[in-house]
Amino acid sequence: MKNINIICLGFMLLSVFSCSEGLEDLDGNPRNITDEQLAVDFQNVGSLYKPMFENIYQYTPPWSYQLQQNLNADVFSGYMTNPRPFVAGANNTTYNLVSGWNNFIWSVPYSNVMNNAKTIENETKDEFPELFAVSQILKVTAMHRVADVFGPIVYTKFGESATTSEYDSQEEAYNAFFTDLEEAIQILSDNIDSPRFTAFDLAYGGNYESWIKYANSLRLRLAIRISKVAPAKAKSEGEKSLSHPVGVIEANADSFFVNGTLDHPIKTINNSWGDIRMNASMESILVGYEDPRAESYFNMSEVVEGAFKGIRNGLPLLTGYDDELAQKADYITFSLLSDEVLTPSIQLMTAAEVYFLKAEAGLRGWTGAGGVQANYEQGITASFQQYSLPGVSDYISNTTRTPIDYVDPVTPANNIAALSDITIAWNEAATNEEKLERIITQKWIAMFPEGQEAWSEYRRTGYPKIFPVVSNQSGGVVDTDLQIRRIPFVDSELQTNPDGVANAVTKLGGPDNAGTRLWWDTPGGNF
Amino acid sequence: MKRTILVFSVFLSLLMIQQIKAQEKTISGTVTSAGDNSMPLPGVNVIVKGTTTGAQTDFDGRYTINASVGDVLEFSYVGLLSVTVTVGTSNTIDVSMEENLEQLDDVVVTALGIAKSRKSLTYAAQDINADELNRVKQTNPVNSLSGKVSGVVINRSSSGAGGSVKVTLRGNSSLGNNQPLYVVDGVPLSNPTGGQPQNTFGDINGGNRDGGDVLSLINPDDIESLTVLKGASASALYGSAGLNGVILITTKKGRTGSFKVDASSNILVESAAYYIDLNDRAEKDIEDFFNTGVTNINSVSLSGGSENAQTYFSYSNTFASGILPTNNLSQHTINLRENATFFDGVLTANASVLATTQSIDNRPVSGLYFNPLVGAYNFDSPGERLSNYENFEELDPNRNIQSQRWFRATSDIEQNPYWILNRNASEDVSRKFLASMSLKFKVNNWFSVQTRGTYDQTFLGFEKKVHATTEATLAPPNGRYIFNEQDIRQLYGDIIATINKQFNNITLSANIGTSTTRTTLEVLNADSGTNGGLQFANVFSVQNFNANPQVSIFQNSLDKQVNSVFASATVGFNEKVFVDLTARNDWSSSLPSGNNSYFYPSVGVTGILTEMFDMGDRISFAKIRGSYAEVGNDLPANTVFPERQILFGGGLSPLDPVRPLGEVRPEQQRSFEIGTEWRFFDNRFGFDFGYYQTSTIDQYFQVPVSTGTGSVTVGVNSGDIINEGFEASIFITPIQTDNFKWTSNINFAANDNVVEEISNPSDDVQIDNQVISPPGVNTFASYLVEGGSYGDIYAQVVKRDANGRPVVDAGAIVINDENPDNTIAGLEKIGNANPDFTLGWNNSFSYKNISLDFLIDGKFGGETISMTEAIVEGLSNNTQRETTNAPVEVVSPTGTVSTLTAQEYYGLVGGRNGFTGEYVYSATNVRLAEFALGYNFKLSENSFFRTIKASLIGNNLFFFYKDAPHDPNVSLSTGNALQGVDVLGLPSTRSWGLNFNLTF
Repeated sequence: MKNINIICLGFMLLSVFSCSEGLEDLDGNPRNITDEQLAVDFQNVGSLYKPMFENIYQYTPPWSYQLQQNLNADVFSGYMTNPRPFVAGANNTTYNLVSGWNNFIWSVPYSNVMNNAKTIENETKDEFPELFAVSQILKVTAMHRVADVFGPIVYTKFGESATTSEYDSQEEAYNAFFTDLEEAIQILSDNIDSPRFTAFDLAYGGNYESWIKYANSLRLRLAIRISKVAPAKAKSEGEKSLSHPVGVIEANADSFFVNGTLDHPIKTINNSWGDIRMNASMESILVGYEDPRAESYFNMSEVVEGAFKGIRNGLPLLTGYDDELAQKADYITFSLLSDEVLTPSIQLMTAAEVYFLKAEAGLRGWTGAGGVQANYEQGITASFQQYSLPGVSDYISNTTRTPIDYVDPVTPANNIAALSDITIAWNEAATNEEKLERIITQKWIAMFPEGQEAWSEYRRTGYPKIFPVVSNQSGGVVDTDLQIRRIPFVDSELQTNPDGVANAVTKLGGPDNAGTRLWWDTPGGNF
Repeated sequence: MKRTILVFSVFLSLLMIQQIKAQEKTISGTVTSAGDNSMPLPGVNVIVKGTTTGAQTDFDGRYTINASVGDVLEFSYVGLLSVTVTVGTSNTIDVSMEENLEQLDDVVVTALGIAKSRKSLTYAAQDINADELNRVKQTNPVNSLSGKVSGVVINRSSSGAGGSVKVTLRGNSSLGNNQPLYVVDGVPLSNPTGGQPQNTFGDINGGNRDGGDVLSLINPDDIESLTVLKGASASALYGSAGLNGVILITTKKGRTGSFKVDASSNILVESAAYYIDLNDRAEKDIEDFFNTGVTNINSVSLSGGSENAQTYFSYSNTFASGILPTNNLSQHTINLRENATFFDGVLTANASVLATTQSIDNRPVSGLYFNPLVGAYNFDSPGERLSNYENFEELDPNRNIQSQRWFRATSDIEQNPYWILNRNASEDVSRKFLASMSLKFKVNNWFSVQTRGTYDQTFLGFEKKVHATTEATLAPPNGRYIFNEQDIRQLYGDIIATINKQFNNITLSANIGTSTTRTTLEVLNADSGTNGGLQFANVFSVQNFNANPQVSIFQNSLDKQVNSVFASATVGFNEKVFVDLTARNDWSSSLPSGNNSYFYPSVGVTGILTEMFDMGDRISFAKIRGSYAEVGNDLPANTVFPERQILFGGGLSPLDPVRPLGEVRPEQQRSFEIGTEWRFFDNRFGFDFGYYQTSTIDQYFQVPVSTGTGSVTVGVNSGDIINEGFEASIFITPIQTDNFKWTSNINFAANDNVVEEISNPSDDVQIDNQVISPPGVNTFASYLVEGGSYGDIYAQVVKRDANGRPVVDAGAIVINDENPDNTIAGLEKIGNANPDFTLGWNNSFSYKNISLDFLIDGKFGGETISMTEAIVEGLSNNTQRETTNAPVEVVSPTGTVSTLTAQEYYGLVGGRNGFTGEYVYSATNVRLAEFALGYNFKLSENSFFRTIKASLIGNNLFFFYKDAPHDPNVSLSTGNALQGVDVLGLPSTRSWGLNFNLTF
């Protein structure tokens, strides 16, 4: 019997083999998820929000965050410094820009935020507009940061071509941000009771009122950013927020945090890798002010026991050190960031910042801003409350403390005198410029550790007066005292989209290097 | 059973066309070649002398002819001596045909296991027998091919015993697979790898490791012969898998009437031989660090059989301890092969089972992560020896844990080497199970049908236990556990009908068949990661993972099926001219359903000049050949319509996977070859010379696009890579007396590779290059660039003034900017990893019972970078030249000349991201690759043993010429990346050993 079976089987096989039947369904990986499977529970939309939340300020993996922001804005802002002089001291922090690092500033938000926003727009704009609205707010949150790094970005024409893309000028992008926020605020206001976003919301538990407050506050931030370059537009956009019935963020409970469950990325970089420490500017200002937030933000150093100790920006491979690791071994003993500030929640906008924005709005005469001094003091108070710190009234009224000179206990050549004698207490008699320095210095302290916004505001206002880099390896492109103004367009774009980048450079209005000022970054005084 | 036979007979008689005459009887039998490598001879002409009655042997050498008692049967076959037999009472006449000494190697196994007479081949095929292959035995038998077959470039992996091997036939052509197909006894072998290194920095997920290959799992003693089919013409019948050539492995089987036991034992002692020149102190440390490696291969086989059934059984084991402390390999292989014939030869069954298990502790890695050589080469602690740190841990009372000790702070790339070996230990496990069966029905004397099936399973396991207090970039405070399992299964089935028929002077040998190959892959990977971490320190299990998205746990399943129909025909005209035609159509599940069918043909012709013309006595044989082939290629599974990936605890993969920009077409290779073969003076001297050209077009390139499009990469069919070259092999027997014989073989090959086109001008996306080795953060890369060659290497080059002095600005060396056309992302093209030509010279001397064999293997041309030397000069001052070299004159940008000490200079240019252009060496090397001195003991007739042979063997003994500090024949990867660079790869070794062979 066996033989017959084999013969039959043989002819059966012959007839089966010679066609392509059944091949279509074979290709694929059943461990992955298909579009049909993704539609269950509306995850085709819902699952897209988490990556958006977690990649505005990249949550994980830490090494990618390290390149996206930690070795860029977190250092340029004067918040932190790397104890290891990467690439033998020839790296971003010494203005010898490492293009491989900078790609992450660009690619992380594009791959995780812009893409997802586009899909959400396609799937929800007509049917569930409030889901689209939240996505638009997240998109503006991420992309204004990218524009604040590079200037022109791909925004309004995103996804229009399969192979290349056209940039908007920074002004066009900002105008689009305002349009998108306005639309989002309107949609949310119309659907304020919809519970649809609750399951996907990592910030406000699905509460659209909080989202509107955040969107208004974000619009105020962007309005203030362009207040010098486009004062009329700034005023009109800012006043829309200030006069909105739902208002802006006023309580810490409404601050915009992305609530995760993982360690803060800086926690790994700081504690495990020993790759980031307190910046000398932070030490100068916080210690000079005897600011109680110093203990919330940093640990006492090992190198000078019982004291906070920061590291100067832009350390090269110092003479006397054989290699990066030897130098790191000495500087790793400077102040770590405190675990208190490195919670699993990523801070992106606080009530304190909004009070300081209102203070500046008041200074610029915008309607609805309220009293400048009151907002300034409420900003400090909100920041103290955020860390449950006592003694805010003594602090606010202090008229004597100023930033202190910086001493490097390892390399005395790095010692530098404080660059400002700005005090804490409000002085109504001061010039607008001094008032702004006071506001921005306090805003800078309050926004820690979010370096991107701090660096943008430093470039716009020149405050606080943070220490320049020790070693400037930009070959004359970046002025040491003016400090770095932007990051050049990234390699991946230069290689894949050369025409788009060439056009973007004309919209930038200057050479594509780190010394060129962005659109909102105008030289001269702030008023 | 009766009924079965009845039905079977009816079936057969329907197909039989044989006329049966009265008074004659039917005589049948088998024709085989004589000698140790006996095999059935198809296509032998059998005629009844003085009549026109004739027949031809079938696929299995079987024939049937009608003749009367007293008739004389004449068996003839070109290349063999004709045999005449007078018909007697027996109805069976088996014939064994002796080699005609004017001819050599006349039967060759070709695609799909089809045996053909060598003279009828229209393409290049070269084979090598077991003796030559196993003279100096290696754990991976394919390593032994180097220098012995022209046009085969062998690069061993730097991962020591059990490592994989890179075989390049006629150059590289694809961004995907460039390795040949391995075929065991006619059936394609699944040869998955557990992965190959991609970049010079190393892999943070366990180091730059060699995932091994299947060839190292085969017992070299089971191999009877190896045939290399170099071009697409030869392998067109295998389809896409045979695109890069085919290596056919014929294994031993039992023989009728010959019962014997073979045993061999081989012990090889090796030492680290070829690495960078260190200063005396560091050299002493490194000599202490490396062990003497010992490899012991033992095998025993039993074979024999009756007329109707033959058995071959073998067992072998290999135990090796590498030069790297704690690196051990153990391997066991069994192989069982049964052949049986039924119903008077109508049905032949063949079944075999191969099972192997291999386990490797601490397989050496390259690159910077998890590599003990970083610490070993760079150890520099005044007054201390590296051996002081053999005691690699001490109690940390704060944690109550044994923590790592090292003379300075550890870093991501540098830890105590003994700590890495003992506390970052890894284990690789490979298991292979291959069962195959074939049945042949002889329908009549010119028509047979064969069906075959194999089940081929490969299991690859990897486990790494990274203990707490390992450097923080590599593992969180409680340690890290990496676990990976891959199960790859291939089911293959075919049915082939074979016709062997003669019409007057025309012979026809044709096959028509269909096959199906189904390959499935299952992967389970779990890695607690660099941040996710373990709950309890140093407990290595998945349940001990912290439950968060920073740990990685995933499964992968891929499935692919290719169905094919194919046909081939060889038509011989008067034994003078042979025309070979093949055609194949594949349907692949990995291509979009509208476009998943592709057809490709080949055509070849050969003329036997010595048959066509009278060329005199001196020329024993001469032929010319030419062929053209097209071969299509599909894509890896899940390329065209990939789904989104779910991330453990982290939602979905952020981006859309890479999707095709337009319609996907199958890739295609077109190849053309011509050649000629000549033998002179009774085969004392001969040569084979060939020229080929291949063009590989429409490759599926992944092309980066602007992020503003919503994608990062799209897929397009594009490109044209051309290889052309010459191959020549020459053999000569200069001396041949009764007692003394000297034979010599020379194998030469030159290949020239040109990237003719990267971008198709009509496509939307224009590509400047394709990355072969990404630079990452180090200064080595390899790109495919239009006008360039596969294997071009890019490095960071020092700017020099008109007098060749390096330009130094503000204490830093300046990067050369004078060659922008050949520069990509700051790295300049400085050479190519592939040799211009290869030359192997094999010599065998025998005098009475003594034999001496040696192989000189040379590769000429090409470049290689020692990033190892750069790293050591960057991290320490341990190289010899930093101490002894003369000061270097340098010049400032304004022209001021100053000098730097050698130590200062190499400190500036060194490092993984330094001026690798200063570490470029010629890859040209000529070595004494193999040496064997053997003695065949003379045994009396009634001795228990039949043969005893002992030999002293040596491998990689010394270089006649070598420029690079490392052995350029060793590669960090046996994939496409990392060619022409050494980044802390395990040094190549020199080995000596003894080999015993017993037969009883």
